[in-house]
Amino acid sequence: MARRNGRGASSSKRLRKTWWGYPRENGDVGARNYLLLLSGTLYANPTCERVARTLRHSVALTHPLGRCQIGPDIQRTFETLVGHGQNANAGAVIVIDHHREEGCTADEIAHEIAKTGKRVEAINIREDGGAIDATAKATRIGMEMLRELTNERRQEVSVSKLLLGLNCGTSDTTSGLSHNKATGWVTDQVVKLGGRALLAETTEMMGGEGVLADKCVRPALGKRIWRMVEEMEERILACGVDLRGSQPTGDNMEGGLTTIEEKSLGAIQKAGSAPIVDVIPWAKRANRRTGLHVMDTPGHGGESITGIAAGGSQVLIFSTGGGHTINHPLMSTIRITGNPLSARLQADTTDVDVTDIFEGAPIEVAGRRVYDEVLEVASGKMTKAEILHEDNAFAINRNGPSV
Amino acid sequence: MPVTAMIIEEGDNVATCLEKVAKGGSVRLMLNGKMGKTLKANQAIPYIHKICIKPLKKGEHCMKYGLSIGVASKDIKVGDYIHVHNIESARGRGDLE
Repeated sequence: MARRNGRGASSSKRLRKTWWGYPRENGDVGARNYLLLLSGTLYANPTCERVARTLRHSVALTHPLGRCQIGPDIQRTFETLVGHGQNANAGAVIVIDHHREEGCTADEIAHEIAKTGKRVEAINIREDGGAIDATAKATRIGMEMLRELTNERRQEVSVSKLLLGLNCGTSDTTSGLSHNKATGWVTDQVVKLGGRALLAETTEMMGGEGVLADKCVRPALGKRIWRMVEEMEERILACGVDLRGSQPTGDNMEGGLTTIEEKSLGAIQKAGSAPIVDVIPWAKRANRRTGLHVMDTPGHGGESITGIAAGGSQVLIFSTGGGHTINHPLMSTIRITGNPLSARLQADTTDVDVTDIFEGAPIEVAGRRVYDEVLEVASGKMTKAEILHEDNAFAINRNGPSV
Repeated sequence: MPVTAMIIEEGDNVATCLEKVAKGGSVRLMLNGKMGKTLKANQAIPYIHKICIKPLKKGEHCMKYGLSIGVASKDIKVGDYIHVHNIESARGRGDLE
């Protein structure tokens, strides 16, 4: 039974109310203490990767954007990079750019990240003498940063310091019956203890807007949810095609999901019964209010969880029907499934198995196992995909063309 | 052994079959952990796909979670396999604009 993942992990009787993290100057708490190598533009990606390969405990975030983007699109890239630099899982940051990326320079990104109080340096490949010299400079600075970071110790902090990311993917009919319900149970516990959770995936609210709007603490927030789903649907209708095939995806339909409405009603089970206290745009930093926050993101898993990481989440539950390899390089990503076939086929990257729900286990029993895993991972336990370097899900959302 | 099919809300039109079902195979309904009546599947139903437990006329909303998951594109009988061949989404239909 070695392939059964995370079964029987829960032994303590009372729900844990604390975890161990790295407190930051601005009040945030990191679940990791990485040195982050943040690429300002695609032409700085190899330098970031070279430095990250040299330095233990470092993570590189690279992407194809940051140049020849217009207005709100370059702003979106900028905010995403800033959000990741500000994420408490980064203990220190080196931003690297290539020459001058108008509207998205390393200096501007570093300036915003420095507001958190963490150490940040900007490197410019051209000004610092080219790819080799810039690599050497970043490596030397990074080494000194890591000497400091690795001398810091975790401290016991309240669950209220957690911003738990929520996302589902490769959904099937087991999603709404099992792993999303278990996730919803975890959301409720985190919020009851003063913490926050962040729900996203606007496309997968289509058909469930009313349920979410009813959870909002103010009617104006409910209207924002209706409006953002409407805007998403308008963008889809403008394409002049049937959404089916894209949403639900081919594997969603193979998994028994017939329509986007059915997928949505399953997806929103992750919200549990917590009150919705805010609705924010893609990649915007969540405020500190206790409760459930909602972010406007596409259903694309990589883009959605990148938005959530920029929003400040330290740990994310990715609940999946088909099983998944998805993993954010900076935000610890816990994959759970209730689909017995997927738990077997995708055991390599499944951290928690909640298939016992289909054998009659109550949701709280499975939910409790996921909750314990969240606090353990937040306290330093590595997820399977983290160990495997499955760093596949840093994807910046776009709303405009390259020019 | 009948295959268990989970109902989410009382009044739903569909239940989710937890194993694949052969044509003519029996399906035992379960709601909130309690076993209920047994149905016969009119067609084969793949792993974790849905069976109709309350008939639908063409154009009626198909209910799951107590809410609409789409509209019947033809009449559907109890025991029928329910999926994209007989239920259509009412959302994001740029093809109908």
